[in-house]
Amino acid sequence: MAHFDTEYQRLEASYSDSPPGEENLLMHVPEGAKSQWHHIENLDLFFQRISFYMFLAYKNGFTCMLLGEIFELVQLLFVVGFTVFLANCVDYDILFANKFVNHTDSSKVTLPDAFLPVNVCSARIQGNAFVIFVLMISGVFWLHRLIKFIYNVCCYWEIRSFYINALKMTMSELPYATWQEVQARIVEIQKEHQICIHKKELTELDIYHRILRFKNYMVAMVNKSLLPVRFRLPVLGESVFYTRGLKYNFELIFFWGPGSLFENEWSLKPEYKRGGNRLELADRLASRILWIGIANLLLCPVILVWQILYAFFSYTEVTKPGSLGARCWSLYGRCYLRHFNELDHELMSRLSKGYKAASKYMNCFLSPLLTVVAKNVAFFAGSLLAVLIALTIYDEDVLAVEHVLSSITLLGVCITVCRSFIPDKHMVFCPEQLLRVILAHIHYMPDHWQGNAHRYETRDQFSQLFQYKAVFILEELLSPVVTPIILIFCLRRKSLEIIDFFRNFTVEVVGVGDTMLLCPDGHQAAWTSCGEGPQELSLMHFAITNPQWQPPQETTHFISQLKERVHREATGVPTDTHPLSLSESEPRSLIANLLAGPSTLASVHFGRDSSLTNHAAAGISDGASALRSLSPISSSLHLRGSLSAAHRTAGHTSTMSKAMAGSGTDARTVSSGSSAWEGQLTSLVLSEYASTEMSIHALYMHELHKQQSRGELSRHTWHRQESDESSDSVPDEVRSQPNPHSRNFPRSHTFPAAVPSPSEGASSHNSSERRYSGPTTDSFGAGGKVVRSARVPMGGWAEEGQTAPRHHEPLPEESLEDEMPPHIHKVNAVTVCDWDGTVNLPVCTASKQTLSFSLSLSRSLSLSLLSLSLSLSLSPSLPLTSDHITKP
Amino acid sequence: MNCRSEVLEVTVEARQVEEAMLALLHTILLHRSTGKFHYKKEGTYSIGTVGTLDIDCDFIDFTFVRVSSEELDRVIRKAVSEFKDALNNSGSDGMGQISLEFYQKKKSRWPFSDECIPWEVWSIKVNVVNLANEQERQICREKVGEKLGEKVINVVEVINRHEYLPKMPTQSEVDNVFDTSLKDVQPYLYKITYQITDSLGTSVSTTMRRLIKDTLAL
Repeated sequence: MAHFDTEYQRLEASYSDSPPGEENLLMHVPEGAKSQWHHIENLDLFFQRISFYMFLAYKNGFTCMLLGEIFELVQLLFVVGFTVFLANCVDYDILFANKFVNHTDSSKVTLPDAFLPVNVCSARIQGNAFVIFVLMISGVFWLHRLIKFIYNVCCYWEIRSFYINALKMTMSELPYATWQEVQARIVEIQKEHQICIHKKELTELDIYHRILRFKNYMVAMVNKSLLPVRFRLPVLGESVFYTRGLKYNFELIFFWGPGSLFENEWSLKPEYKRGGNRLELADRLASRILWIGIANLLLCPVILVWQILYAFFSYTEVTKPGSLGARCWSLYGRCYLRHFNELDHELMSRLSKGYKAASKYMNCFLSPLLTVVAKNVAFFAGSLLAVLIALTIYDEDVLAVEHVLSSITLLGVCITVCRSFIPDKHMVFCPEQLLRVILAHIHYMPDHWQGNAHRYETRDQFSQLFQYKAVFILEELLSPVVTPIILIFCLRRKSLEIIDFFRNFTVEVVGVGDTMLLCPDGHQAAWTSCGEGPQELSLMHFAITNPQWQPPQETTHFISQLKERVHREATGVPTDTHPLSLSESEPRSLIANLLAGPSTLASVHFGRDSSLTNHAAAGISDGASALRSLSPISSSLHLRGSLSAAHRTAGHTSTMSKAMAGSGTDARTVSSGSSAWEGQLTSLVLSEYASTEMSIHALYMHELHKQQSRGELSRHTWHRQESDESSDSVPDEVRSQPNPHSRNFPRSHTFPAAVPSPSEGASSHNSSERRYSGPTTDSFGAGGKVVRSARVPMGGWAEEGQTAPRHHEPLPEESLEDEMPPHIHKVNAVTVCDWDGTVNLPVCTASKQTLSFSLSLSRSLSLSLLSLSLSLSLSPSLPLTSDHITKP
Repeated sequence: MNCRSEVLEVTVEARQVEEAMLALLHTILLHRSTGKFHYKKEGTYSIGTVGTLDIDCDFIDFTFVRVSSEELDRVIRKAVSEFKDALNNSGSDGMGQISLEFYQKKKSRWPFSDECIPWEVWSIKVNVVNLANEQERQICREKVGEKLGEKVINVVEVINRHEYLPKMPTQSEVDNVFDTSLKDVQPYLYKITYQITDSLGTSVSTTMRRLIKDTLAL
């Protein structure tokens, strides 16, 4: 290799390594690293920690958590030590007075007498292999907890300083901030510090995708039944088994275990992205699952002891007799009900809001037989107890009689248990409405539940999502034994489907890595609207909770159209005609189905207003009151609400004018820009708004879907009759309104048919229309093709329309109820609703200004409508107390 | 990972491996090196000069420019020859990958060691072919030269983009960003690793790390 010196030579002569005599010509000032927050290595983990810290702050703060952890460590030591002591070092014969102590001076037995001497005690412990085993495991457990504790203190200390130094938030204001505020600050920070080096700016979606990378996959896999969590057992029937141990194993296999599908935390291995050797890859996956299953089997005893210890310390509060009958959202339910891109705390607050209604719903189903038995058992036990207590009060020597004290205790427990089977006297059986309220919070529900809420099948299926805490713990304890079986015998068979799933649903996004593609047909990194239920709802949810997020073009279009529709439905129809007159056969809209009665009250209010700003302001203040009626949490929130009401109104009007002027700022930016305290309150209240708005969207889309699936069914029959028509031509015909059969075909009315507005170009019209009719025409044309990502596990939407013969069951109608005096409980007021009614939903393309206007307007409107309807129609029969509303 | 990664792929004959690797690595390092910093009072510094050398390859029709620092050249040469030997000894289909990773150090508190956080990784994938006769070799010689020329332009394009670079450090932090061990030139902190055949699977160490981290998470 020859070296040729160029003319650009290093100046060897100069010692100081700068041009001689010109040392001061070129001076640089180092920027230095002003903060340590630039270029963070593992952004996934970092964002996860930030959101978790936020969650901690909501709950009780970091210090409380630390203190709690320390006490738990001490507790653990104490419990293990005390148990071993009780088992090995106490002479029970002395305690039970079977053996007498040969004391000379006094006849009293003291506690120390009962203790064995230290050497005997230690000999007994050392002689017992099982005790040694348990002691060792718990020693490892304790050390693990200790290390975990120290590690977390270090990690979260760093996050804390990130909050304080980089995000400029003090710890005292953190609990009152919303995640959206924190997120906005992170996006700001990125511009300054560049924590992510790939792009100049982060978006909300990037952050969500990073935090929820694997969770999105899990949600999708659970909903597509890729994971074997539902089983048909001989005695128990269809049941769901999904525990933390199982989940841990799934994650181990797919995401980070040895030889998993992901090569690191952010990218799928390249060979899994290619379809070429999928069979070979599936084989490899299957054998890995087998090995992990076997490892689980071998480690079973260790895990079992671990699990028991863990359960003991994590769920001690559940073992109280009172909470035996308490329920919780099951792990499966949390997966099933989760939106894509929904953070933990968002999900939990949503589910907590639904908790009350859900447990009420489940309580509706106490068997009357059991109730009678329980009442009588309670009566007898109670009378015995009363006598014993009375005798004791008369003369306390009764207590000295053998077993009197223990029988009093037993009778007490018996009565407590019985009481949990006796329903509340004031309980009203109205499952349909309860289910509707639940749906407003949990957002997902199989279609066939509606109208069948009173049936035990529905209740059983719901109990898969909402199980007894006791069952939950039992499952957790069983998990070490069951997990290997599931892995070896069930999951292995699915390996090919899993490989295909990961290949088809993974997309690489610059600056995020490989992430879950939320729509299989979309070429975009983010969502494109593919018109399928769960994704639509998830998309709506994300757009509503993150108003500053700029969705891709088509998605914006979709969201605006949907909002427009909901808004129109909410406002338009009730102003036209009175709902009561509607209820027989006249055309009525979907939302009117939902909210018919109460909405008039609101719409009168809104409908007359002409000025836009007044409109909005009215909506807001109305919304505030409605919000209060929906969630009468405590007087403090009332106070807050009313305090900030004026401020909010002002904020909104200014936003309105701004939006009109063309700047697409949202109310939130304005309100958070004002004084800190008020801004926080406002953002809290606004996030309440957002969740309510999401509720109404969920209700709307379910209703829409239900009607669609009905229409689909009737269309299928119709299609069969008109067999001379080729299936290819049918979608076109469906689209064209002047169809000769349209009178027999109710679906085309309720279906949101696109009416071309003059402003809309032909092409965009077509595309939008296809998007709406996408899944339906799809499944229609293919004859029986299942819509791809419909929620199948609960006997889901897609198959519902085709398989189950749908009897035209009347729609539940709540509207009449509030027109009656409150003491008349016409709870199951069901009128035959004419779903044949025409709903012509004009799809219009809103320009940016009108969009943002209608957006916030529809928010306020729909929100107030929903809350009004909920509070009015339900409050007479079911007071909607909301002590389960959590802070975030 | 929070770092850019660029992949270059070359197909060469066995004897060309060393020169091709040197050409690419040196080209990248040329653009990722500065002159030595000389800190003055008041927190300013001046930058020393960097000399360059033209290198002609023996087995490829190609000339590249490198920093005229013998020390740096020695380090790179050592890494490349190790890679070449490993590639020869592997006896497999002659696939290999050498990666040049630029990182910065982040000081952390006492119980933990310093973190090395990469911000740019260049992976060069090498595919070694066997040629039958002299004529093919001659063609290959020219073709590889052309290819390398393209790659160099590619590299320059990537480096010309306005993307994240560590900020210029103050005197106390200079070791966290730059490799100051060399006398005459100061490249960004870098690390050269290689891998013979793309062995699949996460290494055991990363899995263990993940396992521990996962059990420690709240």
